[in-house]
Amino acid sequence: MASGTDNSTARPVSAKVVISGGFGVGKTTFVSAVSEIAPLRTEAKMTSAASGVDDATFVQQKTSTTVAMDFGKITVDQGLVLYVFGTPGQDRFGFMWNDITAGALGALILVDTRRLDECFNAIDFFEQRGVPFIIGLNQFDGAPAHDVNDIREALDLASSVPIVRTDARNADEALDTLVQLLSHILTTLSAKAAEEMAAAPQAAAVAAGPEQRPAPVVTNDMRSAAMSALAAERGVS
Amino acid sequence: MGNEDDTEVLEDGSFTRPYFLTQGRTRSDAGELAVEAMVAVSAGSTMPADHDLAAIYSLCKTPNSIAEISAKCSMPLGVARVLVADLWGAGTLEVLETTRSDDIAIVRRLLDGIRNR
Ligand SMILES: Nc1nc2c(ncn2[C@@H]2O[C@H](COP(=O)(O)OP(=O)(O)OP(=O)(O)O)[C@@H](O)[C@H]2O)c(=O)[nH]1
Ligand SMILES: [Mg+2]
Repeated sequence: MASGTDNSTARPVSAKVVISGGFGVGKTTFVSAVSEIAPLRTEAKMTSAASGVDDATFVQQKTSTTVAMDFGKITVDQGLVLYVFGTPGQDRFGFMWNDITAGALGALILVDTRRLDECFNAIDFFEQRGVPFIIGLNQFDGAPAHDVNDIREALDLASSVPIVRTDARNADEALDTLVQLLSHILTTLSAKAAEEMAAAPQAAAVAAGPEQRPAPVVTNDMRSAAMSALAAERGVS
Repeated sequence: MGNEDDTEVLEDGSFTRPYFLTQGRTRSDAGELAVEAMVAVSAGSTMPADHDLAAIYSLCKTPNSIAEISAKCSMPLGVARVLVADLWGAGTLEVLETTRSDDIAIVRRLLDGIRNR
């Protein structure tokens, strides 16, 4: 980067990947395993809580499901931070999924091989948005060790989508899975860049970022709505 | 990638850093501040009087993302967004850029960094 006052030490840039999959498949466990901080949880207002739609019978010790998103953080170097966001187990097509996924580099879709169909929604979601993803087979105790080719067929996955085995409870394995996701993202982006270069060398070279965006305008209405939402929240809890 | 200038003149005549123009993203596709966008106090700014705004301000003496602000200040995401946007508009806070999701150099850096842990 050219001269300037930009100090990457004090002003890190951030990137994001998403951990997704069906209910109780190990998303929160995975986020905890890779995060350098205790995972944080943030909430957004839900219009209605989903209930009775998820099958908890296979997952023992699991009495509640996440209705907010949890996330962790990896400081990659002094100027670069990677956030790892887990999608909520319920409310699959809620606004938080869009929020979490917008601008994400890619996604890991965790799969419990005893409940393969649980991940269909996630696969559709990321496929439709053109977000690169890999499949992580979380090896639950007593789960049959299916052949990867059979799983690929059952999930109707393109051969370009990696399927890896992982254990969300193990930090080394989880980090290794994250590396596999990043490799896949790199492969996907490189292929896309090469394609664009071949199609239109000029256009690809000047492919610029988004237009400059000023701070959003916050009206008095928005300001007071936010403040009263906060007051209500504080009053209740 | 050809870099021309250090600064570019916008239509309204103001200047902006090239990084801002070519790489960064501050908002999600929904037009809101991205959950992973990092926020830091502006140089020379002062602590707001309001309790919640002051809490955000104190936290952001080191850069924190919108999601972290929401979690650490126990405020819903939507509220944190509006308050941060407000402080940003007032010049009290700065919102740092997020990386683009097709930035190959960033993905390489992430890969190397995480592999070497
Ligand atoms: N055997 C085994 N158990 C796991 C693994 N990953 C997670 N678990 C267990 O599975 C249960 C559910 O894990 P969570 O991380 O809460 O799953 P989740 O996807 O965040 O769940 P929701 O957010 O409610 O959808 C916990 O009891 C975990 O300890 C794994 O790789 N192997
Ligand atoms: Mg969870």
